[in-house]
Amino acid sequence: MAATRGLLLRALRAARPGPVAFPAVRRLRTAAPRPAFAKELFLGTLRKEEVFPYPEISNEELAEINQFVGPVEKFFSEEVDSKKIDQDAKIPPETLKGLKDLGLFGMQIPEEYGGLGLSNTMYARLGEITSLDGSIAVTLAAHQAIGLKGILIAGTDEQKAKYLPRLASGEHIAAFCLTEPGSGSDAASIQTRATLSEDGKYFLLNGSKVWISNGGLASIFTVFARTEVVDKDGQLKDKITAFIVERDFGGVTHGKPEDKLGIRGSNTCEVHFENTKVPIENVIGEVGGGFKVAMNILNSGRFSMGSASAGMIKKLIGMMDRPGFPDCSVEAAMVKVFSSEGAWTCVSEALQILGGLGYMKDYPYERYLRDTRILLIFEGTNEILRMYIALTGMQYAGKILTDKIKEIKKGNVGVALGEALSKLRDMMGRKVDYGLVGDRGVVHPSLQESGKKLEENIYYFGTTVRGLLTRFGKTIVDEQLVLKRVADIIINLYAMTAAISRASRSISIGLRNHDHEVLLTNIFCTEAYFKNNYAMAQLQKYADENLDDCIKKAAKQVLEKRAYICSHPLDRTF
Amino acid sequence: MRLHWAHALSRGLWGGWGPSQAARSVSRHSSRPAGDPASGAPAWRDPPRDAQDSDRGPAAFAAALETLERIPGRRVGRLELVAAALAAMPALGVAREREAYHRLLRLLPRGPWVPRGPIQRLLAPFPQQQECGLQILEQMERYGVVPDAETRFLLLGVFGPRSRPVRKCQRMLYWLPRLRHVDPHPLPSVLPPPGLAAARLGLRRIANDPDARITVYQRPVPDEGDNEGSVEPYIVGERRGTQGNPGAQSPEQQELLARHGTARPVFVEGPFSLWLRSTQLWYYVLRGDPLPPHLREDPPDPERSLYYPLHLDLDLERGPWDDDDFDVDEVEEGPVFALCMAGAGDRRTLGKWIAGLQEANPVLGRTPVVFRLQDGDPPAGATGDPPTPPLGVVPPPSAVLEPPDLPRGYGHSTQGGGNKGNTAPGE
Repeated sequence: MAATRGLLLRALRAARPGPVAFPAVRRLRTAAPRPAFAKELFLGTLRKEEVFPYPEISNEELAEINQFVGPVEKFFSEEVDSKKIDQDAKIPPETLKGLKDLGLFGMQIPEEYGGLGLSNTMYARLGEITSLDGSIAVTLAAHQAIGLKGILIAGTDEQKAKYLPRLASGEHIAAFCLTEPGSGSDAASIQTRATLSEDGKYFLLNGSKVWISNGGLASIFTVFARTEVVDKDGQLKDKITAFIVERDFGGVTHGKPEDKLGIRGSNTCEVHFENTKVPIENVIGEVGGGFKVAMNILNSGRFSMGSASAGMIKKLIGMMDRPGFPDCSVEAAMVKVFSSEGAWTCVSEALQILGGLGYMKDYPYERYLRDTRILLIFEGTNEILRMYIALTGMQYAGKILTDKIKEIKKGNVGVALGEALSKLRDMMGRKVDYGLVGDRGVVHPSLQESGKKLEENIYYFGTTVRGLLTRFGKTIVDEQLVLKRVADIIINLYAMTAAISRASRSISIGLRNHDHEVLLTNIFCTEAYFKNNYAMAQLQKYADENLDDCIKKAAKQVLEKRAYICSHPLDRTF
Repeated sequence: MRLHWAHALSRGLWGGWGPSQAARSVSRHSSRPAGDPASGAPAWRDPPRDAQDSDRGPAAFAAALETLERIPGRRVGRLELVAAALAAMPALGVAREREAYHRLLRLLPRGPWVPRGPIQRLLAPFPQQQECGLQILEQMERYGVVPDAETRFLLLGVFGPRSRPVRKCQRMLYWLPRLRHVDPHPLPSVLPPPGLAAARLGLRRIANDPDARITVYQRPVPDEGDNEGSVEPYIVGERRGTQGNPGAQSPEQQELLARHGTARPVFVEGPFSLWLRSTQLWYYVLRGDPLPPHLREDPPDPERSLYYPLHLDLDLERGPWDDDDFDVDEVEEGPVFALCMAGAGDRRTLGKWIAGLQEANPVLGRTPVVFRLQDGDPPAGATGDPPTPPLGVVPPPSAVLEPPDLPRGYGHSTQGGGNKGNTAPGE
């Protein structure tokens, strides 16, 4: 998990246009946009220069990180009483004040606005520590990863100058208001409406939002509402717009905090807007451009999840590493899925190992379990993210492979023969060489086996994707069971790459306990290899392992009656 | 040959109690009709009266047989006796009772009809006797009586293992319990009389959508002398949330109607008949025509889903070998917006139904509604006055509103009646 983050970091550091603390590293990268690593995997190509060698930070940055980490760790171990927070379902004001003093409310805000201006590595590293308490982690994440991210990435300079300083100091807390009772991921069904006033100076906001983290504490909200926009055809359309709404604008009320299973200290409640006056200067981006803003915020906020789960597992077992930023949205999603599911399995195991003790409230394990459960749900449920990962990859691969597939379908004899020959060679056992293993391989010799498995998987994955696109074309959007398998495979591939890269570095430079890392990597890669092979076998046409049709049929029968339809086994017929 | 004497016995030539006598004793009990000869419905259709009634029921049957039971061992005319008893059972109303059949089987001799040895088995032993056993089982099958372990035991005693009746009994034990569950939508065994309850049942059968809501529009009974005591014409209407093909994921009904648009008319068609065993119900449909292909699906809105793309921008189509969308049996139908069953099928009542629907779908007020009623099969109780067009109704189709050809397979009421007739299981 950590290794995955490390790779993400490398890609992000390279891609990030903003000022980077270490230009020395930056000079090695060109500024031209490169296709992302994960999307290339869909074509069966491994861009090894991005992942090998494993990304490193310089000594100065490492020292700086450790400087930050010390006081924060001290604060969390001494002054944060997680048990009490969980029981009272509230974070005590002293704790909040302590967090504000440490500057944790402005970790990502640039220094010129009063924040800490941390790089992504440092943010992630600190995220590991803050997530020792789930409620605090979620409060901070809701504040900065999504709450004020809109202003950060899409706000004008005036908006930044107006709001960021107070947000950085923690004087005001931010919240992100998108979800409504009728709409989860469906942006089209947002009912909150913002109508322009007659003089055109402000919007009147009406509506209510549900399940808003920090809803009760926040004074600055990023709200998404429908506005009427005249688009370029001259037609009047309803489009979403993002607004910065202050509580002082009036008409903003919030309900009582929801009683939740986990992260009980975080304040989640409904927020209602009644004729709230929002001046037009507070529109983020442009009027009608809220959808893009929302997508960018959600994509960029996702990577913080990885470090959060890493930190939590670290407490229970002890391990892991760091994440990244834009256009690695696919990688960020993969990290989120993998880390949340990994965290859930680990925490469940930990509880299980302790048996009855783990179940008692006297011990913190059950609290960790409850707090971890939300990881699979918020920031995009894992199922939806799998769809996103698979579809984005398919779109990318499809664009490149369209011509080739069309050639095959047209029935060109030469091309068909070439395909048949290639399939024959695949069946005979082809030797794939991505440059990972062997004499000039980038992977350390101890990891040869794992490297070979990875290469094999990547090659077959490329073939499988091509096969799927040939079979389904663009209707693959409807084949969700297929897409789920594709997403699982690519997540495994990414995780294998990250693990191998990290272990390789670790053994090459001689970090402490590198042999343990190598062992873990080999175990993980073997398991992932077999899982990937099975999934790819299932994706073949007419595969015996493919139970999709049966499952769909059973599901349809149950859905018709909306109940369990089998008779009771004790029933008799005569 | 060997049955000559049996035939002679049956004619009572040797004196003694011939089987015809026995049969007569049975039929004596059954030949008193008691009460409903004139309606023409055969007696066995009536539900059996309670057992206290001395003319019918298992008691009567037992009484009929008791004389014979008291004189066991008479080897005379048992086959004819069984035949007569089987014929009389429906009249006595015991045709669906297993105990009656057991009583009958106990009259048969145990042992003499069991073939001894494989050679005798080879020579088709006791054909008429086995035929008689088969007749009993056949009657049981026809009336849906599932044999029991006891039936099988009795048959084994009479005919021996590996005989045709026992084999048939085994087969019945395999199939009949299965066939009881063969109907995925079984009707309750006791149907409500034709009326409001039957209409509800009928609507639930037509469209078993859990989201659909059934409302009853009924005027309160007025106090005038004429109409006192009569049931006012009612409409039981159902608002559906689904489109033509069941199981499809579909938008709300209001959205469907709204999307249908006010420019194109919606049609009220009917009455179509629905049979619930022997009750005939009539229902009306509010439907629209299917959209022409070029208007069919609006292109997916790229701003719909925040988390993943709903539509891939690729130029690749599905391979023909993976494309199992087209099904010859599936007919293109336009959306069906609502169904109703009306107590009286005239325009006024239907107009009330439309008015009721309008409350939930204001767009219906602006859409022209065309009534295309088949006058050939008016339901009972239709009033004689000429149909007065209710609000918002456009008169029957003129050239402007001429609908396109109805898709093939869309039934008119006569065809619909034929299609909807129930066939009894196993017949």
